[in-house]
Amino acid sequence: MKPNEKIHRKEKIVDFRKIGAIIQKNFVVMTRDKVRLIPLLIFPIVMILVLGFTTGNSPKHISTAIVVYDDSVLSQEIQQEIANSQTFSIKHVVSTEDEARKLLDKGDVRVIIEIPSNVENDVNNNIPANIIVIVDESDSAIAGAANQGLNIIINSLSIRISQEKMQVYQQSVDMAAQRMAGYTNTQTAYYNSMTASTSNNIIAEKSVAASKNILDQYTNNLLLSIPPSSLLVIPHNDTVQIFMNNQTPQNTDQNFVAIESPVAPQIRAQASILQQSSALMGSAENSLAASSAVSTKSVQSDKKLQETYAQNVVQSLHTIKIFTHSKIENVLRPLVLTNKSAYGTNKRAIDFLIPSLIALTLFQGAVMGMGRAVAGEKRDGSLTRVFLTPTSNVTIISGTIIFYVLFELVRAAFLIFVAVMLFNTHIEGSILLIILILAIYVSISIAIGMIISSLVRTEQQFTSMAMLISLPTMFLAGAFFPVQAMPKVLQAIASVLPVTYGGEALRGVMIKGFSIGMIMAPLMVLLLFLVALLTIVILVFKRDIE
Amino acid sequence: MSNKITINKKEINNKEINNIEIKNLTKKFGNFTAVDKINLTIKEGEIFGFLGPNGAGKTTTISMLTTLIRPTSGTAIIAGHDMLTEDVDVRSIIGVVPQSFSLFAELTAQENLEYIGKLYGMSTNSIKDRSEYLLKQVALYEHRDRIAGVFSGGMKQRLSLAASIMSNPKILFMDEPTTGLDPQSRIAIRELTEQLNSEGMTIVYTTHDMEEADKICDRIVIMDQGKIIADGTSDQLKHLIMSGHLIEVRLGLEEKRDMHNVIQELKKLSFIKSVVYNKDVLNITVDTKVGTFYSISDFFHKKNIIIEEIQYKEPSLEDVFVHLTKKELRD
Repeated sequence: MKPNEKIHRKEKIVDFRKIGAIIQKNFVVMTRDKVRLIPLLIFPIVMILVLGFTTGNSPKHISTAIVVYDDSVLSQEIQQEIANSQTFSIKHVVSTEDEARKLLDKGDVRVIIEIPSNVENDVNNNIPANIIVIVDESDSAIAGAANQGLNIIINSLSIRISQEKMQVYQQSVDMAAQRMAGYTNTQTAYYNSMTASTSNNIIAEKSVAASKNILDQYTNNLLLSIPPSSLLVIPHNDTVQIFMNNQTPQNTDQNFVAIESPVAPQIRAQASILQQSSALMGSAENSLAASSAVSTKSVQSDKKLQETYAQNVVQSLHTIKIFTHSKIENVLRPLVLTNKSAYGTNKRAIDFLIPSLIALTLFQGAVMGMGRAVAGEKRDGSLTRVFLTPTSNVTIISGTIIFYVLFELVRAAFLIFVAVMLFNTHIEGSILLIILILAIYVSISIAIGMIISSLVRTEQQFTSMAMLISLPTMFLAGAFFPVQAMPKVLQAIASVLPVTYGGEALRGVMIKGFSIGMIMAPLMVLLLFLVALLTIVILVFKRDIE
Repeated sequence: MSNKITINKKEINNKEINNIEIKNLTKKFGNFTAVDKINLTIKEGEIFGFLGPNGAGKTTTISMLTTLIRPTSGTAIIAGHDMLTEDVDVRSIIGVVPQSFSLFAELTAQENLEYIGKLYGMSTNSIKDRSEYLLKQVALYEHRDRIAGVFSGGMKQRLSLAASIMSNPKILFMDEPTTGLDPQSRIAIRELTEQLNSEGMTIVYTTHDMEEADKICDRIVIMDQGKIIADGTSDQLKHLIMSGHLIEVRLGLEEKRDMHNVIQELKKLSFIKSVVYNKDVLNITVDTKVGTFYSISDFFHKKNIIIEEIQYKEPSLEDVFVHLTKKELRD
């Protein structure tokens, strides 16, 4: 420094050099502490990866059990549609709901779909058939996805079925119209043939009348031609006999000589006319009979046709009647989706959220608590003071764990208390079992916190590391985002998080009222976690305060 | 019968074996050697001082002796117990006043002592008696129900001392117990330390305050860069440089002048044994007092350098340290 140089320059409001210096100092401070810095840098990457993959996707290939009460074609078709969908993966096809519920309890399946008996009959009779979906509402994402997925299937099937029905209806109407037209045609034909038959009869009548006229004429002529008294002439071989005054000739052949009457030619002529007339009459008679026969036949066949047509028309009308008498919405929605909750019907979203919330809160609390209990006490030396006493690591660890287990139990009790008081949540299962699960679960969380605190030197480093573990845990726990919708890698990570099993066991007992036997699987996993993590804690928990 | 024999054996051990026997104790942090092959014996009933600047390795040594950190190599036998293999026994017979407060700020003075007492496995009755006694001893009895977090530095340190001797240890390690305290508190701590010692407690005391070490320590080792560079009573250490007389000269230097050559020339004078200088103050060790003042005055006069002050001086431990390390203590 030159002797004349002034140290105290006028203070500038914005001094870029000093701002630069401050920035540089902060940069150096930040980059010196790698244990704190690296998690801080990794954290946003983890968050974007986790959030990017957890949100916006709906679960796929949900393990499903189908309860089939009906083996009709339609039922098989529904099963096929479910099998083809991306949403469901059919793991079991069973014949009773009980069987399916056992699978659900065990966790083998997450959704039950029931196809009711008589599904096809009901659909055919336009009675809405209920397809029942039973979901575990505690898994809200799965429940939502299952409902949505099944809705799509049911809707598309319904649309197809009602389209088919409408087609049949249309066909019936068309056919009825056709049949009506046919009936009308037959009627016309009948009328025509009746008309024809009538004109034939008239002709026949006319010809008979004509014949009668001729016959009358002849008879008159004949009567006129015969004089009042005349010889009785009977030609031997003649065909004509003349009888006069009602006298009956006796032994004419021998006793009488045939004398041709002067009027014989006239008589012959008359006879010829008579013959002709007789022939005319016969023909008229024939014509009349024929006409009558034709008429009868025509009428008979027409009647038969008419009967057939009438029957068809009645049938068509019946079909149409069925349609017109059923409610149109039943025709349009032959299949209906009914949603059932697997565990009680009075559960709401909040009830299902509470176990997850407890699991997450306790995990955060227990892990973060270790920041103060171990990292913090290490920093301020109070843990050192404890290390200076003849107190073993196991004793220190046990004391810490037991306190925090009790503390977190109290916190859980608060949470449950608020849930019960404000949201009317009902705790289904055993309180003792809940406490057992919480105790194991909190111990695991504490162990994780202790391991972290053993690996760091300062509370800041601890916070930074703990955040790196606890926040992804929050998102991968399945409380807020469905794990099944995540990529396989994240699902794999979720499957090794204690919170997954803690939440599962808690949900089982709190909401579904499971007994200890029914939550054995998650409970065993939790115990394994506990043993493994406590072993690690004892190995890494050093008194060495370097 | 066997019980009695064991007790006898123990008594014999305690009598025969020195309280602390440090053997080749070494601690390395990576490439840095904090403590370098220390060998030392601390006798029962002593107030033993580790003296040295910050970073000399005092705290690391204490941390190893109190089983807080493991040595890289070497060990120490503390009251007959190997600190590596019998660390629990060691912990139960020692007390430690750490450098920092190291108690629970949220607990009251009384509660802190009770907690520590329980960790030592003391009975409820003895905890009650002992804590009352100690709180009175450290003048905190009036404040026993206040939380420790609000205590002043001196109060905290007294409470820390009380906590450290809750179990009535045979050996008390005190790691810079007076650093950062006001003079009254220093004196209080020092008096308590001496009292405890007079009651038979062996005290291992680290400090970088030479004066303090001089005052209370029966025996002192001076540490620098992980090594013991001197070992003895205060007088013995002072005599290390007492083979002559010490003259302190303060020069009136007008401006920066190359003193190096001047000092080299001064050293060539026959009666001068050594010269240590810091800015304008020179510590000169001489053989004899005869004619020395004159010769030194003459030397500087010829160099046109004004002597502002020249006097004989009793060496302090600081002088010993400076003499031994050729550097100032508080650097």
